[in-house]
Amino acid sequence: MGEKKTLNLPLIGNIILTKGHSVLGIILGIIAGGILILISGVNPFDAYGAMLRGAFRNWASFTNVLVRSSPLLLGGIGVAIGIKSGLWNTGIEGFMYLGGIGAAIVSTMNLGLPPVLYVLLCFLVGMLFAGVWGAIPGYLKAYRGVNEVTCTIMMNYIAVYLTNWIVTSTPIAQPEAFYPMSLPFAQATYLPILTQGTSLHIGPFIGIVVCLVFYFLLKYTSFGFRTRMLGYNPIAARYAGVNSKRQMVIIMVIGAMLGGLAGTIECIGLRHRLYMEYVTNVGYESVAVALVAGGNPIGVLVSALFFSILKAGGATMAIETGVSSSMSSIIIALCVLFVVGVGVADEKSASARKRKAKAAAAAKKEVAE
Amino acid sequence: MTSVILIDWLEAILRWSAPLIICSIGEVYAERSGIINMGIEGIMLCGALCGVAVCYYANSQVAALLACLVLGAVLGLVVAFLTVSRRTNQVVTGLMVNMLATGGTEIVFSMMAATRHNRATTFSPLFPEAMQQIPFIGKIVFAQPWSTWVAFILPFIAGFILYKTRWGLNVRAIGDNPQAAETAGISVIKVKYQTVILSGIFACLAGGVLTLASSGYFAAGGMVNGRGFIVMAAVVVGGWDPIKTMLVCVLFGAADAAQLRLQTIGSAIPNQFLQMLPYVITIIALTIMVKRSRVPKTWGAAYDGRKD
Repeated sequence: MGEKKTLNLPLIGNIILTKGHSVLGIILGIIAGGILILISGVNPFDAYGAMLRGAFRNWASFTNVLVRSSPLLLGGIGVAIGIKSGLWNTGIEGFMYLGGIGAAIVSTMNLGLPPVLYVLLCFLVGMLFAGVWGAIPGYLKAYRGVNEVTCTIMMNYIAVYLTNWIVTSTPIAQPEAFYPMSLPFAQATYLPILTQGTSLHIGPFIGIVVCLVFYFLLKYTSFGFRTRMLGYNPIAARYAGVNSKRQMVIIMVIGAMLGGLAGTIECIGLRHRLYMEYVTNVGYESVAVALVAGGNPIGVLVSALFFSILKAGGATMAIETGVSSSMSSIIIALCVLFVVGVGVADEKSASARKRKAKAAAAAKKEVAE
Repeated sequence: MTSVILIDWLEAILRWSAPLIICSIGEVYAERSGIINMGIEGIMLCGALCGVAVCYYANSQVAALLACLVLGAVLGLVVAFLTVSRRTNQVVTGLMVNMLATGGTEIVFSMMAATRHNRATTFSPLFPEAMQQIPFIGKIVFAQPWSTWVAFILPFIAGFILYKTRWGLNVRAIGDNPQAAETAGISVIKVKYQTVILSGIFACLAGGVLTLASSGYFAAGGMVNGRGFIVMAAVVVGGWDPIKTMLVCVLFGAADAAQLRLQTIGSAIPNQFLQMLPYVITIIALTIMVKRSRVPKTWGAAYDGRKD
């Protein structure tokens, strides 16, 4: 049943994921979601049909899926490297806000740079802001022992209010806006649009490239080896000379920078302004993406795409059948719960089988003797 | 003028910390037995909606609290099944329960248009009107709804149960050394189920108190606003002790109440920075206190009942 992966996390327990479990869990999640849709009074086949149509009707609707996958890809990979090393990066939402703030500050200044340079500068500043923000929970986790989940979630709320302040009462806020937002960004910072008439920018492809880069980084470099070692066995890692505390901070900062990049891309690629509370639920969804992927960057590609089909299709489903669009986040949560639930249960029976086989072998040996 | 603000603030501290305290009691038990129930944020949200909805439609606060109790037990059972029997990761389980709750309450709330414009009846003060006339103390203490009084008495009962009864001893033993507890004949799985279900019940009731003791309204999305996570931090800072945790909850409640008061009197600091206050204080408190508290030894780890 697929290749088996066991992640042994300190203090948190084991995560056992195989490709088979993930697929089975997702199928169960979709069935459970269908039951909920049925309860709300809509034929689930109609609803899921509308969802698929919404995602795949034509190229334009598929570009919508791709656009939505961009923050999930980057956020997912940011969480995934954390999972690989036993850290829970639940702060993607906050990092996205910081990335957005960085992009907004640079791109409302109208520096008059050529587009390529200007976009790169936005990326740089967004990632820098988020990286500094991520260094705080990283440092607190590594050197002070503060649980990173609570800390990053608290910082998410702080980031939300920081963004609210920036888009309401700083010089870069749009005066007399009907909804709090920043001034419009400079044209030169807009990410190039790939298909005319849609909002498909290059963000999703940046996400895909980042996933592939991290696949190789984790697999073939000493950085990747140190990261995985920290996740499998932190004590052994320390014996082997890995500075585990420093490595924790580095991983948190990298995760934060990826989240920041996601926020920057969302702002300069899609919205062209910084809005109040523009990140909706992406933080938790990134955790879901990384988890279903088992922390594997290639898996992140697949699961981010799958979840964005659910999200993009969910919007169409809401319009065509009247099922609330919140249903797609419910289905995502159900899928993840089933994936983890099924995974661990299977591990239990597998090891029970192994134990039985062992006992049988021992009995045979005894008989033979 | 200042004394009016001070009285108002002190009154609000007690009122705002009550839901936090109620929620923290269940979480203390769950974490003492080794299970971190991260779903309390979502369960609180469910309780907030359930309280308002039942109170409005059935027009009975008793029914509302009973409904919260049942809903909390069911949600606690789900979390317990996943984390104890399925031994799933507690962080993931909690976060996904929160996501389910956010989506679920949004859908249910959108179906109940009536509760949007009509207030549910809120809890009445425990003491008669006349006692509120007592200067200073009257406004602060005797104007409180009865739920606040219950919230401040419960931790002492919870502490007694945790430290002085057999069941409390079992809970503490299981959190520190489940193997030894199992050997001593305690059913580890059963007690863990009990504590996690308790944490669900208390979180759900806290959600009900959150809406029914103050505004009587439910607001989709931002209703609970991270209070569940603040409670989790309070439990850690309070060293997994119900009474100390209560004091930490009061501190966090004070920050919450202060930011609302400061916004209305108009200070030089922008509102948004005041709104950050509870979260900033939570992080600072965690940083200062986390190394001083004694962690339950199997905190957050899955218990594997196999005897290999």
